[in-house]
Amino acid sequence: MHRLHFLGIRLIKAVLVLFAIVVLNFFLIRAAPGDPAMVLAGEAGAADEIFIAQLRERFGLDRPVHEQLFFYVRQVASLDLGFSYRQQAPVLTLILERLPATLLLTLAAFLISMALGVLLGVLSARRVGTWADSLITLVALIFYATPLFWLALMAIILFSVQLEWLPAFGMRSISQDLTGLAYVADVASHLVLPALTLGLFFMAVYARLTRASMLEVAGMDFVKTARAKGLSPGRVTRDHVLRNALLPVVTLAGIQAGHLVGGAVLTETVFAWPGIGRLMFEALLQRDYNLLLGVFVVASAMVLLFNIITDLAYTFIDPRIEAG
Amino acid sequence: MRPTTSLLLGAVLAVYFAIMPLRVSAEPRSGGVINVVVQPEPPGLMLGLTQNGPTQMVAGNIYESLLRYDENLSPIQNLATSWDVSADGRVYTFTLKEDVRWHDGEAFTAHDVVFTVDTFLRETHPRLRVSLEHVERVEALGDHRVRFTLKQPFGPFLGIFEVGTMPMVPRHIYEGTEFRSNPANDTPIGTGPFKFKEWVKGSHIHLVRNDDYHVDGLPYLDEIYWHVIPDSSARAIAYETGKVDVLPGGSIETFDVERLRDLPNTKVTKKGWEYFAPHAFLWINNRTSPLSDPRFRRAIMYAMDRGFARDVVWNGFGTVAAGPVSSKTKFHSTDVRHYPYDPDKAKALLGEMGYDGRPIRLLPLPYGEAWQRWAEAVRQNLNEVGIQVELQATDVAGWNQRLNEWDFDLAFTYLYQFGDPALGVARTYVSSNIAKGSPWNNVAGYANSKVDELFARAAIAFPEENRQALYDELQQTVVEEVPVAWLLELEFPTIYRSNINDLVTTAIGLNDGFVDAWIED
Amino acid sequence: MTASSLAEFTRRFSRHGGAVLGAAILFAITMLAVFGPLLYPESPWRMVQKPFLPPMMTDGFLFGTDTLGRNIAAGLVHGARVSLLIGLASTAAALVVGVTTGAVAGFFGGRVDDVLMRFTELFQTIPNFALAIVLVAILQPSTDSIVLAIAIVSWPPIARLVRSEFLSLRSREFVQASIVQGQSSFQIIFTQILPNALPPVIVMASLMVATAVLLESSLSFMGLGDPNTMSWGYMIGAGRTVIRQAWWISFFPGIAILLTVLSINLVGEGLNDALNPRLSRRTR
Repeated sequence: MHRLHFLGIRLIKAVLVLFAIVVLNFFLIRAAPGDPAMVLAGEAGAADEIFIAQLRERFGLDRPVHEQLFFYVRQVASLDLGFSYRQQAPVLTLILERLPATLLLTLAAFLISMALGVLLGVLSARRVGTWADSLITLVALIFYATPLFWLALMAIILFSVQLEWLPAFGMRSISQDLTGLAYVADVASHLVLPALTLGLFFMAVYARLTRASMLEVAGMDFVKTARAKGLSPGRVTRDHVLRNALLPVVTLAGIQAGHLVGGAVLTETVFAWPGIGRLMFEALLQRDYNLLLGVFVVASAMVLLFNIITDLAYTFIDPRIEAG
Repeated sequence: MRPTTSLLLGAVLAVYFAIMPLRVSAEPRSGGVINVVVQPEPPGLMLGLTQNGPTQMVAGNIYESLLRYDENLSPIQNLATSWDVSADGRVYTFTLKEDVRWHDGEAFTAHDVVFTVDTFLRETHPRLRVSLEHVERVEALGDHRVRFTLKQPFGPFLGIFEVGTMPMVPRHIYEGTEFRSNPANDTPIGTGPFKFKEWVKGSHIHLVRNDDYHVDGLPYLDEIYWHVIPDSSARAIAYETGKVDVLPGGSIETFDVERLRDLPNTKVTKKGWEYFAPHAFLWINNRTSPLSDPRFRRAIMYAMDRGFARDVVWNGFGTVAAGPVSSKTKFHSTDVRHYPYDPDKAKALLGEMGYDGRPIRLLPLPYGEAWQRWAEAVRQNLNEVGIQVELQATDVAGWNQRLNEWDFDLAFTYLYQFGDPALGVARTYVSSNIAKGSPWNNVAGYANSKVDELFARAAIAFPEENRQALYDELQQTVVEEVPVAWLLELEFPTIYRSNINDLVTTAIGLNDGFVDAWIED
Repeated sequence: MTASSLAEFTRRFSRHGGAVLGAAILFAITMLAVFGPLLYPESPWRMVQKPFLPPMMTDGFLFGTDTLGRNIAAGLVHGARVSLLIGLASTAAALVVGVTTGAVAGFFGGRVDDVLMRFTELFQTIPNFALAIVLVAILQPSTDSIVLAIAIVSWPPIARLVRSEFLSLRSREFVQASIVQGQSSFQIIFTQILPNALPPVIVMASLMVATAVLLESSLSFMGLGDPNTMSWGYMIGAGRTVIRQAWWISFFPGIAILLTVLSINLVGEGLNDALNPRLSRRTR
């Protein structure tokens, strides 16, 4: 019951935040120089006043701004994100076509960063003060200081071009009709580099935090008690230390969700990954207002959803909240 | 592939291609799949509605027009098998090919042509609309003949039957509908050698062979995949790793061309752009001081090291432009004032006019790294003769906005010439075209009544010999006044595998589709 | 800070080997940024040699030349100044917004807190790099717009931190005493609470400088850099298309960013240990 109530409040808040984001971005993007009609006319290689006026009328851009906003908000409220000016297709369709790619990339990167980060953090904490601890710390700090796109470029040069181990771009081999396991393997091989470069940056964050948190919890009284009771060191680490040490890590994961999606813009650009990060950047350059707003709404919704999930996860991990 | 293996393979291939010329006369072979890069992702494939670069390149396989043009811009037959021009240059009659079918099986007839020109494109195609001003009426004479009657002779008329300018669209699908929202736009139907199969947004477009194509035995290829790869380095790598076989002109940065050209099994051609003849220049805002002074504009011409730009920024591709008309376009003249790289002369001109050192703004073209580098080089050139220049960063929308609103001092651009000064050059210089709202207008604000008159007379002079004299005089006048600063006649090399033959056969190259292309085994 | 606490600070800081190393690197980079232009008085944009000279092959061109024949060493030196300035300026701007928001929210609590925190949450929900891209694109790329965009996406964590510090400090006796004495809220915030909330803020701010340097380079990479200032991100962006034939053009600025960010982070850790002994005890 408690959890349901909690979930309900979080969802209502999320909807309000989304609404604010829609309005904010609606005005932001319209403040940019140029408009979609101009860009489309520009791309057409020719334009006259008739042509541009036709486009503006078709897009509803000849209406007063408050009317456009009203219309847009009403539309979004009925779960319709409108029509993309440039792609000439419903925004929702375009986003749904691209969303799985971004979900796959960000989830894979998240899992990599979480798994590696926690693992390295635990290793580091258990060997605190040794050369292994220092090495892990150094590696984590270096990845944390490396520009994502630069690492991506270097990885392509090394693994795709020099060693020819992994594909350099895209999500699958297009002209081969692969099915079943071969298809999965194909996508997986394309996923390795983008997910790793995106994941390693965040791995560093989790490794550092896990280490710090482990050490803090290990010094707490209830852990000492558990040890005193004669529980095996492995069991103490697993059941008591790690479980409690993960709490701040989970909180951080929620906070990092936005950064992860933001990082996806860079990763998708370098690796030609067909996700919504790239879609957003293209929509921005093309002043495709509806599409850009749509991507923002969906990306923000993803972040909010992820926050809610991490909050829920928190309640499952935290032994103190369990009672409620 | 390990380095040693690839080295060995390279050697084998080198030997293989050394003996290649012996086999060049091989018969075209049917079959095969070709992978091509398309960038950026086209906004749509309905060529009658959208004529941007990528749309033309993909949809040129799906749609066709009445004519094609060889590299000297002479018309060759396509959907029209013959044409004749009346003695007064006002009536053009085309005979259409029989037994041509749309991809859905309907017959292509003269009524489609009339509908396309008079109804559809007149509404949707701004560039053609300008040319159609000269057309009094279009009529179908039976199913297979079309007659165009002009108001007065129009020199470039036979040059507007290119597929991007006048793509034939199916009347049976579009007549009486709202063209832009017709659902058929998603599954384009043309008469071309390839049919639309699938478009996975953000990933690829898949075209398949049109088995009922109106030329027996063509096309040779079975399938074409157009890959959307947004990053230019990724596009180059896609070619290197064998994922794509063709890099259309302009799809990779010039700095990569040299490296890819040296790969085994690779050919490079500069052909296939003769019709467009992309002409790069700097817009100069003629309205404001100091740019309103012709001496300042001439100083800019002398200050720029255009040879360096060609050799370093464009990797040796291109020709320093002599004036407004490209050497690839008809009626080009070399009898004009020349502007070699001469910083001292530039400084002298600036001193003579008493330039006060007021800084000016320079707007680069937001089309990738080469253009950015070019702007940096020009800024440095101008700095060195004493002109302070500030680069203005912008994106495509911002660039359009500034040009449309005349909010610039100097701005990079390049324009297509479409084979004839009346189609692609006059628009930049005639004063009747000074209007806000479009970057294809006379954005510089240059007005010279003599130039206006020469352009007007040259467009309708008949026959062709009479036009040359007018254009010669015109080029001399314009080059003297430097209303814009001409840079380079650009070349966009197409890079492709050596075993692909007959890839570029016309003046618009890949935009005419892969109709003749075949893969050798 | 008294002399004894300064000594204590130094002792704690220097106990952290990494932090000392970081401080040394950062000092070197700062010196380069300040005095480097004396080494290369000419504009880094000048095309001074043949393009694509590899590093250490030609005298005076330690790091080679770029696509137009500009000296990369000169670019690196001038870029240090730009990158550090953008990092510092955007952090300062973010601090102003973040500290104010957090202080007001934490001090007044209640509805004010609620509204401000919702507002903060808004900015944390929009993927921050995406927002930065949109802001720079809208304002059109220039040093000012880049600083502003970075500041706008980086202030929320500061606000949250300051707020939580304020919430806990507010109930402390010395603050309550000041309230009873009738001091103004403004006075209390700036003279009583803020100085005590400062140590963790300083630590976070130092890390933010590092993040800002990374953000600036990412924006430049996406083509949203200021074309009139030679920054490291700009150099990488300009070099990436030729990375295959001239790795050095984007490699060295990448290393420069890595070293700078790494050293700032190390210093940040050292500060953390030295300023927040309570927190640092966790880690050892």
